[in-house]
Amino acid sequence: MKKSGIFITLLMALLTLTAGCAKVEVKKGGTFIQGVSGGDAESLNRILISDATSASYYEHTVDSLATYDNKFNIQLRCLAKDVEVSPDGLVYTITIRDDLKWSDGSPATAEDYVYTLKNLMFSDWLNYPYKGDWQEEINGEKVFVTPEVVNATTFKITRQTVDPEFVYIIYDLFPYPKYIATKYEGDVKSFTEAPEFNNLTYTGNLGPYRFKEWNRNDRYVVEKNPEYYLGKDIGAPYFDQYIVKLFGTPATRQAALEAGDITYTGIEPEQANRFRNMGNIKVYTIPSGGCTLLAFNQRANGWEGLKKKSIRQAIAMSINKETITQSILLGFAEPAFSFIPSISPWYDKENTVKYGIGELYDKRKATEIFYQEGYGMKKEDGTIKVTKKDGDLLQLILATNQGSKVAEDIAFQVRRDLLTLGIETQIKLVPWSMLLRQFMENKVPGSDQEPRDNNGPEAVSQEAWDIMLLGFGSDVLAPSGSRVFYATDGGLNFMGYANPEVDNLFKQIKTKEALDKEFRKQIYAKLSLLLSDDLPVDFLLYHRSNLGFQKNVGGIDPGPSIGYNYHLWYFE
Amino acid sequence: MGKSWLRDYIIKRLIYTVIIAWGILTITFILVRVGPSSPADKYLANLAARGQDIAQIRAAIEARYGLDKPIYEQYVDYMGNLFQGNWGWSFSTSMPVTELIKSHWIYSFQLILLSSLFAAFLGILIGIYSAVKQYTKTDYAFTFLSFIGISIPNFWLGIMLILAFSVKLGLFKTYYDTTLPLFSLDNLKALVLPVITLGTGMLAGYVRYTRSAMLDNLRKAFVTTARAKGLPERTVIGKHVFRNAMLPLVTIIMFDLGSIVFGGAYLTEIIFGIPGLGQISFNAIFANDYPVVVAVTLIGTFIVLLVNLMTDITYTYLDPRIRYD
Repeated sequence: MKKSGIFITLLMALLTLTAGCAKVEVKKGGTFIQGVSGGDAESLNRILISDATSASYYEHTVDSLATYDNKFNIQLRCLAKDVEVSPDGLVYTITIRDDLKWSDGSPATAEDYVYTLKNLMFSDWLNYPYKGDWQEEINGEKVFVTPEVVNATTFKITRQTVDPEFVYIIYDLFPYPKYIATKYEGDVKSFTEAPEFNNLTYTGNLGPYRFKEWNRNDRYVVEKNPEYYLGKDIGAPYFDQYIVKLFGTPATRQAALEAGDITYTGIEPEQANRFRNMGNIKVYTIPSGGCTLLAFNQRANGWEGLKKKSIRQAIAMSINKETITQSILLGFAEPAFSFIPSISPWYDKENTVKYGIGELYDKRKATEIFYQEGYGMKKEDGTIKVTKKDGDLLQLILATNQGSKVAEDIAFQVRRDLLTLGIETQIKLVPWSMLLRQFMENKVPGSDQEPRDNNGPEAVSQEAWDIMLLGFGSDVLAPSGSRVFYATDGGLNFMGYANPEVDNLFKQIKTKEALDKEFRKQIYAKLSLLLSDDLPVDFLLYHRSNLGFQKNVGGIDPGPSIGYNYHLWYFE
Repeated sequence: MGKSWLRDYIIKRLIYTVIIAWGILTITFILVRVGPSSPADKYLANLAARGQDIAQIRAAIEARYGLDKPIYEQYVDYMGNLFQGNWGWSFSTSMPVTELIKSHWIYSFQLILLSSLFAAFLGILIGIYSAVKQYTKTDYAFTFLSFIGISIPNFWLGIMLILAFSVKLGLFKTYYDTTLPLFSLDNLKALVLPVITLGTGMLAGYVRYTRSAMLDNLRKAFVTTARAKGLPERTVIGKHVFRNAMLPLVTIIMFDLGSIVFGGAYLTEIIFGIPGLGQISFNAIFANDYPVVVAVTLIGTFIVLLVNLMTDITYTYLDPRIRYD
């Protein structure tokens, strides 16, 4: 196993180094500086982490079990071989490498992984935020899956129900060293403040870098790990240090890249072409799975018309997605039609109804639909003005998160589009926490329910709203995660959408038949078609991000998983 | 013995300082803790995307940091720990609050100190010169420039300085480098642009105040008397006019110092990537990290109260007629 692991690594390194120019010189060493803005990490204590920045800091020092390349092929990391799934889809056998070590030299074993699951992640005292990933519903109760050690490098996880996409949760697993964690077990305060976990002193050879320094709101520094299990034979990672430098604004972050003070950073859409024309910078445009959409409130405190599929379709027909992607996002986005991102292997472009572009961007037809449903009046010139049923002006409330210029621009574009139909839109820009609590969370009026995002069909939010502009994260490899938004009982179905056919299709993804990928693909195609036509939300766009690097950085494989081989990046 | 009233006054003021600080600490604690936000809020977007149960997770995160207890219990716990020197654990940065402040105060302090010195020194000199040379071309030029200085937003000025001197001319790094030794020329050089950014507005203000205070005094009878007695002009301006003009200036400079401590340096810190207390406290407010918010407010309160005390003491030296008994 070890030899094949090294062979794969060597082959990858060879391919990367020979890609493009055969005579590129690899300079080992140097400091790679990544510029970021948008806030610092909160913790390096992995099990307490809930934000992406903290996870990204941690991941320099400890690899997950596996990751993916740009075509979403599996890339083994701490795994010696891919996870084996039993024919009935209930038992997962995980085999890790035998050369993984903690900082004290002792081996990182299957025992550590199982301990992390059973004693830490599943514990009551620690409150791991992602417990739900490891639970399944049995007779109406949530129960944990069962992990068990087989031998030093192998452990099993047994489920009672089939979930063909559970394997993706397993790939993300990370271990805690049992010999340290036991000292803090049961005491959440001590565990939270444990110096070993906050300073990552235990990470051994598990990641390409070792923790060096974290100056809050300034920089996070890791240094080359010469013992890295994937790199010790080829000298990877090639940089001596990797620094994450924090900036307060995108403008200063981008100025630092232009001046050559940092090696890599994201570039705002309006600056992308300017950077592309600079001799010292390479810009890669990368598609992503982040979707911006308009959710329609189909609960009692939303406008009644939004409960009708035809009205939702008419609204979607009035909003020009090309204008939004080209004029607001300057081409660095693509129109969205499905809950499955176009980069996903499950995406099937034939099975979507494409509202908002081509023939299905048609305001005249949209007004006719409104009129047919009783929401409009004919003017003297024969055109239709959309109104309420009693002929009054139709006013809708569009709520969105305060502080994002792109979100504000899109909201005003939607307002302009709807105004041409005669619909007045009141835009409410509200802080995120208020959006969560007052607009999304709901409860049955007069009940003593704890507010949640979906408290049943009778529940309503504290504040009335009709349309909400926001982003949903779509899982590229496991789109069934979107069930939480679109299933009638989905935990995040704050819109109050209900369609038994959708519920049934999501259920079919979690069956034994769905272990067959072809079967799953058919279900996803049906779901995609159904949701793109029924429009519980109007999918607006999928973002593309621009990443700028100094030209002397080699080994980059640009794509949606651009960082999957970053330990093989180098200075030319 | 002659100034024993001053010692009594200082002791009395220090006692008031402690009482006021406790009051402000309590109010800040209550405001931060009874607000509608929760430290869990910033986790929720990410968790929501993973389909987790938000209400359950919010409760779990609040329980982790003891925020599920009644507010009075939290307050008693917090005050008890504070008196034992334990300022709590910052859950938005995962370190003890004392360590966080210990490792970051110096960035704010050096920026504020140098900016104040730069602004006060240059501003007073230019203000005196403008007043003495009233209605000359130089006076008009300084007046014009000081109005520009007052009007330019820090944010804009900082970014322009970076683009001009760092990106185009390559004279400075685009951001402040925290790895430089504190007492080194390189560190001083790294602070040039931030100090100009933060100090320009203050400098322009001091020019205007100094000019105006000097002109007020230049017209007074004692100045005419001093000149009639044949004193050299330098003595008249330096000893008689400027000393009298200092009184309102001290008030303004001290007031500015207090304002900077309470967040005035925040924008400059943001632009130049200086991880000072301004950034720390603003981030803590957005993260609902109350141990940090309360600690920084407490420190700011003490500084402002002490600065006020120093102002009062300075008055007695500038104008011996002033007594506080």
